[in-house]
Amino acid sequence: MSETMAIHLARTPAKKKRWYARWNWTGAATTLVLLILWQLCDQLGLIHFAYIPSPLQIVGGAVQLLQEGALQAAVAHTATVAVIGWAIATLIGLILGTIMGLSKTVWTWTAASVEVLRSFPSITFVPLAVLLFGFSSSMELVVVIYAAAWPVLVNTLEGVRTISPGLRDVARTFHLSVWRNIRSIVLPAAASKIIVGLRLGLNLALILALAAEVIGNPEGLGYGLTVEQQALQPARMFVYFISVGVLGIILNAILQLIVWWTLPGITALAERGRKS
Amino acid sequence: MPQRPELTAVGDLAFSCRSLSVEVSTKSGPKRLLAPLDFSVKKGEILSIIGTSGAGKTTLLRVLGGLVPPMPDSEVLAAGVPIQGPPDRVLMVFQDYASSLLPWRTIRKNVALGLETQYHGEELRDRVDAALDLVGLKARGDEYPWRLSGGMQQRVQIARALAMEPAVLLMDEPFGALDAITKSSLQDELLKVHEQTGATIIFITHDVEEAVYLGDRVLALGGVPGKIIEVLDVDLPRPRSQIMTKEMPEFLRLRHRAYESVVEAELRLRTDQ
Repeated sequence: MSETMAIHLARTPAKKKRWYARWNWTGAATTLVLLILWQLCDQLGLIHFAYIPSPLQIVGGAVQLLQEGALQAAVAHTATVAVIGWAIATLIGLILGTIMGLSKTVWTWTAASVEVLRSFPSITFVPLAVLLFGFSSSMELVVVIYAAAWPVLVNTLEGVRTISPGLRDVARTFHLSVWRNIRSIVLPAAASKIIVGLRLGLNLALILALAAEVIGNPEGLGYGLTVEQQALQPARMFVYFISVGVLGIILNAILQLIVWWTLPGITALAERGRKS
Repeated sequence: MPQRPELTAVGDLAFSCRSLSVEVSTKSGPKRLLAPLDFSVKKGEILSIIGTSGAGKTTLLRVLGGLVPPMPDSEVLAAGVPIQGPPDRVLMVFQDYASSLLPWRTIRKNVALGLETQYHGEELRDRVDAALDLVGLKARGDEYPWRLSGGMQQRVQIARALAMEPAVLLMDEPFGALDAITKSSLQDELLKVHEQTGATIIFITHDVEEAVYLGDRVLALGGVPGKIIEVLDVDLPRPRSQIMTKEMPEFLRLRHRAYESVVEAELRLRTDQ
């Protein structure tokens, strides 16, 4: 019965940390100290650049932009395009990646094209997309989908292709249908790689949305950034600048929370991997 | 013990194989893994398969499980029906439990794997519980398999197969990676399960003692490609006991014989090469 005892000991569940306990408070404090230093440098005239505003000036810019409603509109636009584009890209990447990972025939036919196309930085397609779709939000969306689909597709493909042959045998001996095999074994087994793809895809979605707004579509954070830069309004420009970063952090956190809530098994497995 | 008639009707056979052979293609041309084999397995019996490594034990089991196709001229019947893909109610238990359990599913959900489309809600729960009960793991159902010891993980795999109410269990060295004490307790559990379910069990092992202890018959494979060296009838009383059974003169005699045939297989392998 010593085995049972050992299991009891091994089983002591890891304490579930609350979200605020996971937060890196010391790291946040460092940021705060740096901001105060920045403000002091500016006020004491230690360092002075004509176009770098102090933190307080940026806060003033933010208040202005919020009162005008420009900031809210810009954030809403960029976030919407990035998230919708990313969601469509995820669907495309998952479906194509799974098919290419499971079917040798499809893989041999498509491998070369995939390798060539994905080696282009997605941003090179922005001018082309402007030619095809004009200075519009649909251009922005197409660019976002194109860019975000690659990491999802490539990671799904990798994950599906590297499933252990043992699991393939399990699916067969239990008579799982193709669809059940994909849902219950293939995708969960590839999940850790797929999640990496989802996160890379989300980052790219945001980057490409901004690039499209800077180059072609007169809406959103990227457009606000260029407009304020050309109007020589550094304080207002920095507001857009910081909003981009905050938006990126929030979108990533939401994705992580969704994974955490919907896929408890995958999360437990990932945490086990991190510990050992 | 039920009397075994000399002539068994086809309907009483879990498997019947006539000139079963397997070839795989390699870089240096086709390679034969199993020479034509003729044997059959009766319903409800435990057949142990022993043999030297490379004799095709696993290949043979995978043929019976429908995972490897035999040569076209082979006749392999599962419950009277030619095998094309995994036969119904024939389930494999793999040696490598860690890679055949689904680590992202709890034990309960692992056991439910084959039942989920057929049963739902309470019915599913009851069936999973019953299977876990057979291997004494009902209390562990909500944990992840990788939190358990090797022996317990192998039990989960057995429960997952038992939940399907299998007619046949094909077990590929299921206890090969376990320590001696865990191994003997799992052997007894398997015998208990066999008694309760009446499933046919084909059991590969490289442990001669285990083969005799569990089996109604022991089939020794040897050589490359694998041939049947000998089939031993094990007439030891059931229920078997780790101490009593293993002290019986008949057990010792059978173990002796089984060892001899493995040694002979080894010798044959050397002369073949």
